[in-house]
Amino acid sequence: MIALSGTPTLATARLTLRAPQAGDWPHWRGFAMSNRARYSTGVCDEAKAWRAFCHVAGMWAMRGYGSFVFHATGSDTPLGMCGPWHPIDWPEREIGWTVWTDGAEGKGYAFEAANAARAYAFDVLGWDTAVSYIDPANARSVTLARRLGAVEDPDAAYPAHNDPTRVFRHPKGAAA
Amino acid sequence: MITLGLTPLLETERLRLRAPGPQDWLAALAFYRAPRSRFIRDGVDLTDGQCWRAWCHIVGSWVLRGYGSFVITLKGSDDAIGLSGPWHPIDWPEPEIGWTLWRDEVEGKGYAFEAAAATRAHAFRDLGWKTAVSYIDPPNARSVALAERLGAALDRDAPFPGEGPCLVYRHPRPEASA
Repeated sequence: MIALSGTPTLATARLTLRAPQAGDWPHWRGFAMSNRARYSTGVCDEAKAWRAFCHVAGMWAMRGYGSFVFHATGSDTPLGMCGPWHPIDWPEREIGWTVWTDGAEGKGYAFEAANAARAYAFDVLGWDTAVSYIDPANARSVTLARRLGAVEDPDAAYPAHNDPTRVFRHPKGAAA
Repeated sequence: MITLGLTPLLETERLRLRAPGPQDWLAALAFYRAPRSRFIRDGVDLTDGQCWRAWCHIVGSWVLRGYGSFVITLKGSDDAIGLSGPWHPIDWPEPEIGWTLWRDEVEGKGYAFEAAAATRAHAFRDLGWKTAVSYIDPPNARSVALAERLGAALDRDAPFPGEGPCLVYRHPRPEASA
């Protein structure tokens, strides 16, 4: 078995955030091929879902940071993913989040996970700023960005292939 | 430092084969941008963003599969000159042994043969593969020649990824090629 090494683990009141692992694939696959992925990866076929998750895992080795898979502490079932994200063609670094099943939504998990991952990016990675790129139709994520204290930045650039996009900027030190 | 963890190292007479990492990115990007990568990108020019995703797929595939393609280096230098080894995106019909050499000046020296023979042996010996193919774009005459030199034989009935055309070369098992 090959696993990413040297990766951090974060703990919140209810959640554990850790690097992606091989066993996450079926859970990611279920998410990425569902309508829940329409605002992030877009609804994927299996081939695209595979490449997207390899990108997630590979970015950790490439960047020295990456998105955390989160699960309820004491359970191994991934509920979603969140955290630092920066494909090379994106204008700047993002704090992203996805919740993988309907059952995990509405419980504040994404808020809890994103808050911890953002604090990690600012405090440990030393980021000076971070944004979240959100599809305008994704009302739940807009609400979450605001709940996290992020403020819309209408002048910020966003990934060219994701038009239209709203950019919410996270103020450093404004941890919720 | 964040790495792929306990990945294997392979050594041949002249080469050291190791897992890919961030130190290889610029060399990989130069290869993707160069004409010599045309056979693995259907002749289509890739954006830097597509190159990044292709490379992260190569790196991340190690985590999802538990194996992956090895960066080829010359003994005495850690500079990547190519990539070879086990490769199996989820939508491909079966596992492949692939190879690429990234610069013109490392071609014609038998490095790809040496690397592919070692990574194929690793797949059969350490990963327990029962069979392996190499998918080759028909105009890629050098790769066809290499597949034949490796003892692989054209398998006209084997499925291949994508629309094709694509030549499928099937590798002999170690006992057959010994």
